[in-house]
Amino acid sequence: MLASLAWRNLWRQKTRTIISMISMGFASLLLVFMLSLQIGSYDTMKTGTLRLQDGFAQVQPPGYADDPDISNLIEDPAPIIAELKAVEGIAEAAPRAGTFVILANGETSYGAAVLGIAPESEVNVSTLGAALGQGRYLEPGDTDAIYLGETLARNLGLAVGDRVSLLGSGADRSVAADSLEIVGLFRTGVPQIDRQLAQMPLDRFQETFALQGEVNVIALSGKRLADVNRALPELRRIAAAHGLVVRDWAELQPALKQAIALDVSTSAAIYLSLVAVVTFIILNTLYMSVLERTREFGILLALGMKPGAIGRMMWLELILLAALGCASGVALGAPLVLWFQQHGIPVPGMENIMAQFGLPSRIYPSLDPISASAGPLAILASVALGGLVPCLRIRRLHPVSAMRAA
Amino acid sequence: MCPERAGTRNRIARGQPEGALRERSPLVSCRGLIKTYVQGAIEVPALRGVDLDLARGDFATLAGPSGSGKTTLLNMIGGLDRPSAGDVVLDGRNLATLGKAELAELRLHRIGFVFQSYNLIPVLSALENVEFILRLQGIAPRERRQRALEALADVGLEGLEGRRPAHLSGGQQQRVAVARALVGRPAIVLADEPTANLDTRNAEELIELMAALNARLGTTFLMGTHDARVIARAQRHIELTDGRISSDETRPAG
Ligand SMILES: Nc1ncnc2c1ncn2[C@@H]1O[C@H](COP(=O)(O)OP(=O)(O)OP(=O)(O)O)[C@@H](O)[C@H]1O
Ligand SMILES: [Mg+2]
Repeated sequence: MLASLAWRNLWRQKTRTIISMISMGFASLLLVFMLSLQIGSYDTMKTGTLRLQDGFAQVQPPGYADDPDISNLIEDPAPIIAELKAVEGIAEAAPRAGTFVILANGETSYGAAVLGIAPESEVNVSTLGAALGQGRYLEPGDTDAIYLGETLARNLGLAVGDRVSLLGSGADRSVAADSLEIVGLFRTGVPQIDRQLAQMPLDRFQETFALQGEVNVIALSGKRLADVNRALPELRRIAAAHGLVVRDWAELQPALKQAIALDVSTSAAIYLSLVAVVTFIILNTLYMSVLERTREFGILLALGMKPGAIGRMMWLELILLAALGCASGVALGAPLVLWFQQHGIPVPGMENIMAQFGLPSRIYPSLDPISASAGPLAILASVALGGLVPCLRIRRLHPVSAMRAA
Repeated sequence: MCPERAGTRNRIARGQPEGALRERSPLVSCRGLIKTYVQGAIEVPALRGVDLDLARGDFATLAGPSGSGKTTLLNMIGGLDRPSAGDVVLDGRNLATLGKAELAELRLHRIGFVFQSYNLIPVLSALENVEFILRLQGIAPRERRQRALEALADVGLEGLEGRRPAHLSGGQQQRVAVARALVGRPAIVLADEPTANLDTRNAEELIELMAALNARLGTTFLMGTHDARVIARAQRHIELTDGRISSDETRPAG
């Protein structure tokens, strides 16, 4: 009975109800959109940053994170790679070995990080190959080849086709030296990477740095970061079986994780104010309708209806109103977000920078259960809670004074 | 439980059947009723000592100048407000001993109300308005519907059951209110200026209707009114002046 009364009362003031619904619907829609966009852009940022170099996760020897030394090794990586690639959600597992070297051109020398990579798997993990500026990326079968950051090459005074000398120490602490032909230069737009990174074929690296087929890390990729994150428990199990550890994206890029956390708390404040404003509007409306209906409440009380029941009826009315408003916001917002999820939202002026990262020049909002429901549910909860106060106050209503109300 | 009950039990023990006792005792009994409204520093005396008995089946009007205390007295008898001093005993129960929730229960089951206006719930149809009381009383749906239909038929509103108050005339709305007041089978119907917003014909029809229902069902009626037509039709007439009863006449039924 209360529900049907509440429902009918809702439509007594059609215009007011519709305006309330629109304000809640609009706020819900906005929240769904903003949250989806935010989650989508975090995805884009994470994916972009991780794909550039680290991969979505890495299998490493224990302690490598704190001491990334060439002698910290994964022995016999091939069977482990096969196992990792068989995990659902893992598309590629790329072996890498790396160390710090001095690159030299005559009298000029610069320190750099050099990675030995397998081009055929590396292209599926890292977008460095796609950030090609000049020449070409490393190819399977390359032996005498090195791929450098553009800034690094410029600093050394070298160009594609020139040779660069490389000096470091091998895994056995012996002196390691080599000379390689520059086949290509990359330009990522990230200064540290363009200034300090080089890639060479893994076989040649192992030869030069006295490795017997060992590698330092195995970098993983999947269709999406979420797929790899979901596979983490299984990855950890496999790694542990070989005495290795898995580092997830947040461990690989702690600064990125912090930046996102900071952004989340800033935007949460904006969302909360939006929710508060909408709640205020709706409660104001509720207050008006309580005032208008005080006489009627007086009659209901006189007839013997319990004050609590009248309060519940008002509260139900409020919840119905909020649920309708929020539901309409989701109903309109979800298709909109889904459309943009397919087509992307262009970011004017960002095309060049994004392209350098090997990223699309559009942001793709991401609709998931959280982005679709968190905002509307927050509005619903806040209205329901805020409405509790006036609804509980109805219980204090006295029939005679209520009936005397104007 | 309460002293009244204990007293009753004693008298039953002395051999009087409870039914007979209740028949003989007045339905409503007001003793030394005083009501003073306090508005800030100002005290407004509305009732200054009212003694009044209503017998079962009375069809009584309560008249008096504006501000004489009619509404106040009806509210005291109806358990809507509490007197500053004095007692109201309704159907054997002293209202002063009842809590807020018990008073609500008493109103729901023992008292029917008809007010001057805004009586009905605007979002409910005539039938639903009448059924509303029975819903509150917890009557099963089928019986509820049956009784509500009968009550509406009793007030001559067959065919209009589905209409909402806004689509009924003032006279029809007051008839729905009468049907609603009676459908819960109360001991007494309290009506405060039921005809005030009606034209002569509708007012006469309504008072005839109430008189007929009083005669047929034996339900006690007490009506606060200024309306001479209503007063003329009453079998008992009480006048209030300045919060006191200034006259109380019972006329032979006619
Ligand atoms: N809630 C209240 N607060 C203060 N004073 C009140 C209140 N209710 C009634 N009064 C005062 O008590 C007195 C009696 O009022 P009451 O409404 O009982 O008179 P009435 O006979 O019903 O008058 P009317 O014919 O105008 O309806 C009046 O002076 C009125 O102003
Ligand atoms: Mg009055």
